[in-house]
Amino acid sequence: MNHKFSRRKFLRNSILGTGAMTLGFPALNVNAQEHKIRVGVVTSLSGANRFGGNLTRRGYDLWAEEINKLGGIEIEGKRYPVEMFYGDAQSRPASGADAAERLIIQDEVDVLFGPYTSGVTLAVQPISQKYRVPMISGSAESPNVWLAKPAFNFGMIPAVDLTTDKSMVVLAENLGDRAKTASVIGVDEPFSKETAEGFRKGVEESGLDLLSYELFPAGSDLSAIISKLKSSNPDIVAVGGHEDIFINFVNTAKALNYKPKALIMHYGVTSAAFMKETGAESNGILGVSVWTEGLPYKDELFGTASDYSELSFSRWGTRPDYTEAACSASGLVLQDAARRLGKAPPWDQGTRAELAKAIEDTDIETFYGPVGFAKEGSHYHNNTKPVPAVVQIKSGDVVPVAPENASKGELVYPIPGTS
Amino acid sequence: MDLFLQTLVNGILIGGILICLTIGFQLTFGVLHVIDFAVGGWTMLGGYTAYWLVTLAGIDPFISIFLVFALFLLIGRGLGPLIYHVRTSKYARPDLMALAFTFGIFLFMRGGALWLWSYNSRSVDSVLSGQFLSLGPVTIPLMRLSAFLLAMLFSLGLFILLYRSRFGMAVRALAQNHDHAGLMGVDVKRVSAWVYGIYTALTASAGVLIATIYSVNPSVGVRYTLFAFFVAVLAGLGSVGGVLVAGLALGLLEAYVATYIGARYSLLIVFGTLYLVLLVAPKGVLGRGI
Repeated sequence: MNHKFSRRKFLRNSILGTGAMTLGFPALNVNAQEHKIRVGVVTSLSGANRFGGNLTRRGYDLWAEEINKLGGIEIEGKRYPVEMFYGDAQSRPASGADAAERLIIQDEVDVLFGPYTSGVTLAVQPISQKYRVPMISGSAESPNVWLAKPAFNFGMIPAVDLTTDKSMVVLAENLGDRAKTASVIGVDEPFSKETAEGFRKGVEESGLDLLSYELFPAGSDLSAIISKLKSSNPDIVAVGGHEDIFINFVNTAKALNYKPKALIMHYGVTSAAFMKETGAESNGILGVSVWTEGLPYKDELFGTASDYSELSFSRWGTRPDYTEAACSASGLVLQDAARRLGKAPPWDQGTRAELAKAIEDTDIETFYGPVGFAKEGSHYHNNTKPVPAVVQIKSGDVVPVAPENASKGELVYPIPGTS
Repeated sequence: MDLFLQTLVNGILIGGILICLTIGFQLTFGVLHVIDFAVGGWTMLGGYTAYWLVTLAGIDPFISIFLVFALFLLIGRGLGPLIYHVRTSKYARPDLMALAFTFGIFLFMRGGALWLWSYNSRSVDSVLSGQFLSLGPVTIPLMRLSAFLLAMLFSLGLFILLYRSRFGMAVRALAQNHDHAGLMGVDVKRVSAWVYGIYTALTASAGVLIATIYSVNPSVGVRYTLFAFFVAVLAGLGSVGGVLVAGLALGLLEAYVATYIGARYSLLIVFGTLYLVLLVAPKGVLGRGI
């Protein structure tokens, strides 16, 4: 046989060969890593919500570090380490959706851990559904996330309308005959409005008289609202909003010589920034917390709530809040569901759908509290089990004061110096 | 009746803050014919500067307001020639170019603030924070009263500057006609730059007061830009005197609507009023002029 050397043919074959090898390497790589469980985290690592976004990352990472110390997630007697991949939502829903798609297509993650804000979560959950990748959201609190009935998304923190509702009932029970009336105000924007509506529902459920319910635009001057509250002087004032409204409320009330007998807000009051900006005026203010380190919960990986707090403090240098705790507990949910699924990774689309079903059937106790997802109704796939603790700021410390099993101090009522 | 009187006081004091915020904005429009969309940004930066001065140097806002005034006078004076250049450029619509330019400055400031301070709200304590006067059933917060008095002082100072000084004469001449003022020996560029400096200094000082009364975060600028624009339109664009009437009217309108109809409707009614003013009296309450 007479083969003639062709330079053109040689070059073509060389290019094809090199290309095939280059394309083939990632596949080989994936095969080499098939014993790992690939977890994608979509959260706000930059932009306006980067502070909260990084809290979620801390929570997720702490779980990954702890489970990897044991060799990974145990499935059918064999352990599979966890590998984390991150997608920056840049505090924007559209960027979050893009990041999720990248994680699923390029990084081939088996499961997603969800974003910090509800807005980004709402944008990401259709992506998780489209590719049938289960997502466990450690932070989203808007009921709208669950109203959409997401098949593949599961939320660790009870929606804000549930937490504020239950916290008001807990507070009213604790105060007994000492409180008969309440007023609720809130900012007229989704999260704050839902918070205020939860408070209002709680007032109605607990048999208190609702003296007034008022929503106002973000950034409003609060002097008119506070003048009205001062005039009607309810026993409990509840405020739905974010930290800036809380600061404005406290400052304006102080300037108008008004101090409610009980003032309950939400998550923002426990933040260091709120206490710093309001100083001594924060003393006695009540807040809602889904989790505190004093709660009597525990699990095998993290130990008690207090152990978790210590671990987080030694790892990150600050005490964890409920967002971090819920994010770490997301990992516990994945662990439990993967164990019950009993199938080694990587998981194809069909197996991921089975994993979602396993997550849906979760019924576990963790350091964060009980976890179980609603299978129907307006809070579909939201963990509705935790009972929120009512906390009170006492000399700069956040002290759980109700319900009884979470209480670490006496509920001060009325706040000294009230109108 | 008690609530009615308290609302009256609340409205007047809110009006004082709005006057403080808008008076420099009016001057800039009157002289440079620029609607400065950066007004909320200057307010925000004034508030943050006061926050820095309190936290880093322990300087009370009532002293820092003078430092902020001086600092932003220089910043505005430095930026003034650039604004003037854009406004007098040979583009087809230099007025729109200037508007877009100031909006760009605002976005830059907002982005910078987000980068520097994240979204966190800051409030500034003063010796007067939380202090109040009780007049029977009416409570007068001293901080808001001080803001009101300061607004009056700014207005008086501006009045004296405009009507009792050679610089003021030059400013008024510019407000009439740049070319003619130039022919009469006024250094148009220099005076315009100082006007922009005075405007930024006044607006940043308003920001100091706002930080002591409410709180400041990177988003507040949008709201204050809207309010400054509203007061300016109600006053009559360029009318410094009209700001006093418009600021008080808006303050009272917002307070009474929030108290007796509902705070939820205050912005709706306030901006509905703006629409009516534009329809019925497009020149505002006191017409246009310096």
